[in-house]
Amino acid sequence: MDRSFLANKDVVAASRKFVCIRLATYEDAAENEVLKGIFTMRSELQNTVFGILTPDGKTHIVRSGRSPAWAFGGQAGRGIHEQPLESMKKMGQTMEAIALAYPGKGKAAKGPLPLPYLADLRLALNVTAADRQPLVAVFAPDAAQRKAMERELSVVAWSEQFIGQAQYVSASDAKEFKAVKGVTVKTGFIVIQPGIFGLEGSVIQEISANAKAGELKKQLANALGQHKPNTLSYYEHRAAGVRAGKRWESKTPSTDNSSPRERIGRQRR
Amino acid sequence: MMNRSILLVGAFLAVPFFSNAQAEAPKAAAKAEKIAWHGTWKGGLTEAQRTGKPIMLVSAVPQCHSVPGVW
Repeated sequence: MDRSFLANKDVVAASRKFVCIRLATYEDAAENEVLKGIFTMRSELQNTVFGILTPDGKTHIVRSGRSPAWAFGGQAGRGIHEQPLESMKKMGQTMEAIALAYPGKGKAAKGPLPLPYLADLRLALNVTAADRQPLVAVFAPDAAQRKAMERELSVVAWSEQFIGQAQYVSASDAKEFKAVKGVTVKTGFIVIQPGIFGLEGSVIQEISANAKAGELKKQLANALGQHKPNTLSYYEHRAAGVRAGKRWESKTPSTDNSSPRERIGRQRR
Repeated sequence: MMNRSILLVGAFLAVPFFSNAQAEAPKAAAKAEKIAWHGTWKGGLTEAQRTGKPIMLVSAVPQCHSVPGVW
């Protein structure tokens, strides 16, 4: 059983009252700068960052750090998936208290509910592989058509049945799918099974670009039910990846001097 | 002998029940409640400003020892 902070049911329940943002460190120079504004060690961006911020993103509400354990106590490093119950409870309770202080605008919030997109297909395959979730691509070369598709899918994505059950990416060019097997449509919602290492994927189902929310709901339920999550443990996954020579190159250099690669580099120097 | 037969019949009857229970388990796991993440700072911040909700931010490298597909 996963006893990490972000899988805890109280934390997940409280998360519905927050805007939850998860970034991939070292993948975007501008986001690296945002992360450095939240937490650094020796002025350098670390591999992992955690923070709870005011709605304008400017003020820290709890102690920021490498993980929720910096704010709520618990395990770092190897023990991150075996957090003490009291730490997870403290995180859930703190989030509920913060949500009372920042209740949001409710129905007064203006504008449409956006689809929570990942940055691009390359990263989306990796992230969904790591999260063991299916990926839904909104694919249309025409921006206006993509916008219309997003409006329909967003209603479904944030519904009680589907919230948190898949992740989303926008695509405008067929070339973006070069690592995905089985794409046949020129436009559509493409439900993708990410490969174990998130370097490629395969189509689970293609859904018409013209599908309205009601039809999308039915089709998506069927497609998501066919997703097969990776069942390897963390250590099995890592060992299998090393054996198979599967590697990920970040878009910007790592600056975390406590990361294993950096430690090995220091020992060699 | 009769008792043994009843036990055996009972065991066979129980097998499909437990098999179904095991088959249902992955479905239940797939429906586990999960956090809904915004995948970009720009998208998430815009939504926080729109709704007035606080932000929970997490970032991690999407690899371990350079092996992708794991946080």
